[in-house]
Formats: sequence, C-alpha cells, structure tokens
Amino acid sequence: MSTTTTAPRTVAVRPVTFPRVLKAEWLKLWSLRSTYWTLAATVVAMVLMSLLMAFGASASAEAGFDAGLDGQMVIGTSYAMAQLVIAVLGVLMMTGEYSTGMIRSTLTAVPARVPALVAKAIVIAGVAFVVGVLGVALSYVVTMPMLGDAGGAADLGDPDTLRMFWGTGLYLAAVGLFGLAVGALLRHSAGALATVLGILLLLPIVVQLAMGALEWLRDAYPYLPTTAGERIVAVDSPGMDMQMAGLPELLEPWTGLGVFAIYIAVALLAAAVLLRRRDA
Amino acid sequence: MIEAHELTKRYGDKTAVDRASFTVRPGTVTGFLGPNGAGKSTTMRMIVGLDRPTSGTVTVNGKPYAQHRMPLQEVGVLLDAKAVHTGRSAYQHLRALAATHGIATSRVREVIEMTGLQAVAKKRVGGFSLGMGQRLGIAAAMLGDPRTLILDEPVNGLDPEGVKWVRTMVRYLAGEGRTVFLSSHLMSEMAQTADQLLVIGRGRIIASGPVQEIIDATRGVSVRVRSPRAGELSELLAGPGVTLRATEPGLMEVSGRTAEEIGDAAARAGIALHELTPLRASLEEAYMSLTQDEVEYRTEAATDHLGGRADVPSAEGAVR
Repeated sequence: MSTTTTAPRTVAVRPVTFPRVLKAEWLKLWSLRSTYWTLAATVVAMVLMSLLMAFGASASAEAGFDAGLDGQMVIGTSYAMAQLVIAVLGVLMMTGEYSTGMIRSTLTAVPARVPALVAKAIVIAGVAFVVGVLGVALSYVVTMPMLGDAGGAADLGDPDTLRMFWGTGLYLAAVGLFGLAVGALLRHSAGALATVLGILLLLPIVVQLAMGALEWLRDAYPYLPTTAGERIVAVDSPGMDMQMAGLPELLEPWTGLGVFAIYIAVALLAAAVLLRRRDA
Repeated sequence: MIEAHELTKRYGDKTAVDRASFTVRPGTVTGFLGPNGAGKSTTMRMIVGLDRPTSGTVTVNGKPYAQHRMPLQEVGVLLDAKAVHTGRSAYQHLRALAATHGIATSRVREVIEMTGLQAVAKKRVGGFSLGMGQRLGIAAAMLGDPRTLILDEPVNGLDPEGVKWVRTMVRYLAGEGRTVFLSSHLMSEMAQTADQLLVIGRGRIIASGPVQEIIDATRGVSVRVRSPRAGELSELLAGPGVTLRATEPGLMEVSGRTAEEIGDAAARAGIALHELTPLRASLEEAYMSLTQDEVEYRTEAATDHLGGRADVPSAEGAVR
C-alpha cells in the first residue's frame, strides 16, 4: 500500500449548488453499464415494434384488405415495449442506490436530499425524451421503404404525426419519472418494479375486465395513468375505435398527458417528502 | 468539533441511542468504543444527518451537518465500505461525489493515490474485496479535505499493513488539528490509535476521557504478591477498601494497597516476599468491566485481535 501522506495544502471545495448536483447525477447515470444497454434496448424495442407493424401493414396491403394499419400507426406504437425498459431504468436509478448502499454516499454529499431527487428526475426525463424521439425517428426511417403499398410513411406535414414524434419522447420521459418516483417511494427494486409494471401493463386490462360488473370503472378507465398518458401518441381521433370496442371514450391527447403528469407530480412530491423524513 | 446533546434514537420501543451527550475535540483522535449493536453506527449516522434523532441535537463545527454549505469539507465520513454502487468504478464513484462540491478531478486522483487504489480505480467496485472497499470509503471521506473525520470501523477488513496505514494517517490528520472520531469494537485498536475514549454500551455513554484515565478509573491498580507466608500477610493487609484474591497457594492479588505499602508491611512483620508486581489493568480489561452489563449480543469481538484479519493479500489478486 502506498504510504504517501500529503503535505498540508488547500483543496478547492465549492458549495453544493443545484447545477453541481445535476452534474453529479449525470455522471452517475453514464458511469453505469446498465444505462447503455438499457437505452440501446429501448431504441431496439422501438424499431422492432415498428418493423412488426410495418410488415403487417405491407402484408395486408398486398393481400388487398385494409387492416387499419398506416404510416402513423406504425410509428405510433413504437413506444409499447420501450416504455417497460424506460420504466425499469427509472426505478433502478433510485432503488439501485438503496440496494447497494450508495444512497448514504449520495445523501451525505447532498444532505438537503431533495435536490438529488430533482436532479435524478431531470436526468431521466431528459434522457428518456431524447431516446424516445430518436427511437421514433429511427423507426420512421427504417420502416419507410416497406410502406409503399400501405399508403406510404406518415406525412411529416401532418400535425398529428409531429405530435406523435414529440409525444413519444414526452410519454417515455413521463414513464421514466413515474418509475423514479415509485422507486423512491418503495426503495426496493423488486417491489417497485412489480408496482410500476403492474400499473403500466395490468391495471388497464384489469379495469377493462371488471368494467362489466362495476359500472363506475367505465368512467374511471380513461383516467388511469397510462391510459391517459398514452393518448399523446394515439393515432385515432378520440372515441372512434374505442366506442366500437365497447370501451369508454378516451381523453384528448394533451388532456391525457396532463392527467398522467398529475399522477407523476403527486408521486414525486410524496417521494420528496418521504426522502426528507425517512432515515437513509 | 462534534457536540452531541441528549442525543436519542428509538426504533419502536427499542432504544438504540439513549440520551448521549459528548464532545469530540479537534486535534485529538477520539475512539468510540462499544460492543456490536451498542449504538455506535446509529450515533455516527445521526451526526451526518442520515438518521433523524428521536430527540436531542448534534452539531458538527457548530452547525447541524445538513446546514453546512460544503458538508464534504466539514466532515469526511466512512460509515460502511458498502456505500458505493457496485456497478460503478472507484474513480467514477469519487468523481460523482466530487462533482457535488465542484472538486477537481485532480483531487480525485490524489485521494486514489493516497489510498493506494491506482491499480483498481477503473474497475467496478462490485469485485472489490472488503479491504479495498474500506480504502475507497476512506478515499471518499478524504475528498473534501475535511476538518472532521468520522470513521466507522475503519480497519475492518484491512490487512496488517493497511491497519498500520490507517493508524498513521489518523494520527497525522489529528496532528494537523483535525477532529478524528473513529469507532471500533476492538480495544487493542483503540489502545494504539486513540487519545480520548468514548465508551458506549446499549446506547448509553458509559465512560469518556483520556484513555489512561478510563483504565485507571475502571480498575483499581492491583499488585501481585508472592510469599511463602501469604496467609499471615493477608491478615496484615486486610482493611476497608482492600480486596485480596488468592490465585494459587502462596500467590495473591491485592487491590487497594500500593506495592510500597505492601512491601513496608511485609518488612515490618519480617515476612519474606518472592514477588511484588504492580499490575496495570489493560484497556481490554477496563472495557470488559465497563461493558459487561451492556453487551446486547455476545460476540467474539473481544477476542478478535487485529493481526488475525489478514484477508486482503494484494490489490490485484482480489479483483476479478
């Protein structure tokens, strides 16, 4: 072992400020290998999903029937698998610190605590947004050549198409934040992952199934977190297909995202309060 | 300077720290000694604001830890070697902590060198041995060049050379006028490192003061006397405040009388003495008698001597 002892000297130390905490969280995200493969998996999941839809669209167009698949549908479903990966990343950003003990280092460096949570939120939201938009763009480019028979790729001049581009980024950012908040509330990876994936995947299905027996669930259905949030990437005009399937009328895109944002804000606020109060 | 006043932590109906009041002064190494589960770690976590006291207060350099604008410059803390994300490299871990205080990466490299982690700095912490984890924890504590160092069981898992290094570093830092507060359940470690002692048992501070003072106050110094006429001598020595303990025929331990008094008494009575040895209570014995009623979990801690923990052969050898 080195037995070097430093001579007395001054080490430049500056006050803890929010930009510094943000930089620390940024460095933390990019110094874990799991970040790279998680984000790669997100993009791959988006492109694969779109490819699958594009195959369906071109196959049905060749066979001469309208399966209701068009260029917008192809990019508008790309988030479906990717959201699970981003949710997991959001959860692990928080629970990974608790399971390894890192949280004690984090909170001794930032004893005000809440700035660390806010910094994590900004980092995950920003990264998920960029990856989401990038994933849609890539999906668009990759599937474009396959959509000739199915009416061509989505029209980039159409405001709805543009909404789906940005909307996918926003929705993935929201899902990442939701994962982070639940991770901060529950602190254990397994419990938080089960909760988040349950809410993302199972809750809408369970409510749909129970709707027949419990009439009030019909009114609640459009306001479920992801049912509302997903509207920002939705292709259909609200109500049309859903009413045909016997489902209640869904929210407008931005209203839907707003409802999801309220859930997230409440969860993050609760997480911040508990982070301050609980022993680490 | 660390000042605790009536510091209390309760978990449900279990009291982990019970109205602890103490002061840790700059320029000294203060040992925090107590059996496992006595409340050492909880106390240290409360000092740096990780655990919220049920009641009472504790300040570091005059302010609660969380109110400092540059906490890493006030206090460097090693709570346990595992306060690191296992997927991150030692260098990246330190760099992220440094970023919160605008500390340059040159300082990160400096603490890596100080702790001898150069060879493994870019490797993921998950593969570190306990000893290397401790070194990384100490490196993190040193990052902000803090005025106060709080080290919870710093020599745990270190090889003998590492133990010596910690001891030297701790003494050096205290010599520079810093406050060093380190805990251990090993008396032998404290005897070699600390000036001041704070002894805790079942959450209560049961003794504090200079190391030697605590030893003297705990056990009266006793004297071993060997004499063929020990029986007669014991009658001469008996009196209030005097304890006589025959260990074997012709041999006894006397406390409450000095060696001089015993020698004079024997000479006056014409009793030959074959041995007259003042016995100094060791820190270990002092500790045992202080904590014998306070041990919550009986452990082998007391017999666990430092030299026996050489489980870190070399820096390279232990990393996969």
